[in-house]
Amino acid sequence: MKIVFTPDWFLGQDFLIEIFSFMILFLFFFFSIKSYKLSKNKKVLYLGIGFLLIAIGELSTILTKLVLYYDTTITQNIGQIVITYAVVKSVDIFYHLGFFLHKFFTLFGLYIIYRPPLKRISGDFVLTTYFIIISALLSQSFYYVYHITALIFLFLIINNYCKIYKKSKLANTKILLIALSLLAISQIIFILSKLSQLYVIAQNIQLISYITLLVLIMRISKNGKKKEQNRDNI
Amino acid sequence: MERKRNRIEIIYDILRVIQDKGGKIKKTHLMYKANLSHNQMKLYLNELYKKGLIENISSSSKYLIQITKKGRDFSEKYVQVREFERTFGL
Repeated sequence: MKIVFTPDWFLGQDFLIEIFSFMILFLFFFFSIKSYKLSKNKKVLYLGIGFLLIAIGELSTILTKLVLYYDTTITQNIGQIVITYAVVKSVDIFYHLGFFLHKFFTLFGLYIIYRPPLKRISGDFVLTTYFIIISALLSQSFYYVYHITALIFLFLIINNYCKIYKKSKLANTKILLIALSLLAISQIIFILSKLSQLYVIAQNIQLISYITLLVLIMRISKNGKKKEQNRDNI
Repeated sequence: MERKRNRIEIIYDILRVIQDKGGKIKKTHLMYKANLSHNQMKLYLNELYKKGLIENISSSSKYLIQITKKGRDFSEKYVQVREFERTFGL
């Protein structure tokens, strides 16, 4: 059974994409906390927690792949091809735990962004958390279960932001929608990622999606400065 | 009917009004432009003085309120935060 579907020539590059994704997610968490400190809006706090959970998920993959790709004591013995095909029995538990945490935190983060538990923890919340754990566990054997679950959450989030965009017509919300749609497309391709070329395409679409999110955060920062400068020039 | 402004929105409005007037304003003008009662304004101005967001200056026998660097930074930060929340419809 394969642990990762990265083709040999792409090893390391996927790792860099994940570091970049982690940084963007952390930036969104940082912005949410900054926003919460000022406005005390609990919805913003939960949005931030959602981004933080997905960032932790990315960090789990980064740390796992760091050992998987760059641990010289292992690589010396078995080489890259063997690592890709996961015959690393002695360290299996570590890798499985790392990838499980990635899936669990990412799905849980997406769920929090979709439906923040604003008042009190309900039965639905507990039930969904349980299904997220089951989904993350099942994904260890059937990798596509994770991507399908992530895709469902992304569709629900996109649907929410579509409604918001229809009301506000804000350019920033449109950019957010584009980024989320790209992320959803990458998940669809990941479902078919047994073909290594498709895995690479999915990773690159994910990269474009995170670049779009970076553009969004830059626009938000810039707009704030620009509006204030315009005011000063009046 | 327009909804009531919260505390942070009132603080931002006060700072915005001062900035719109070139960074300095008379107390009475501020009261009308920021749409505040006398008591409300007294409370908010005390808070802004304490936090160093505004300061008193006197020019040609007039007492004016001036926005500080900290006040401008706060105003900029608030616009960013508001933009962020609006993007996510929060």
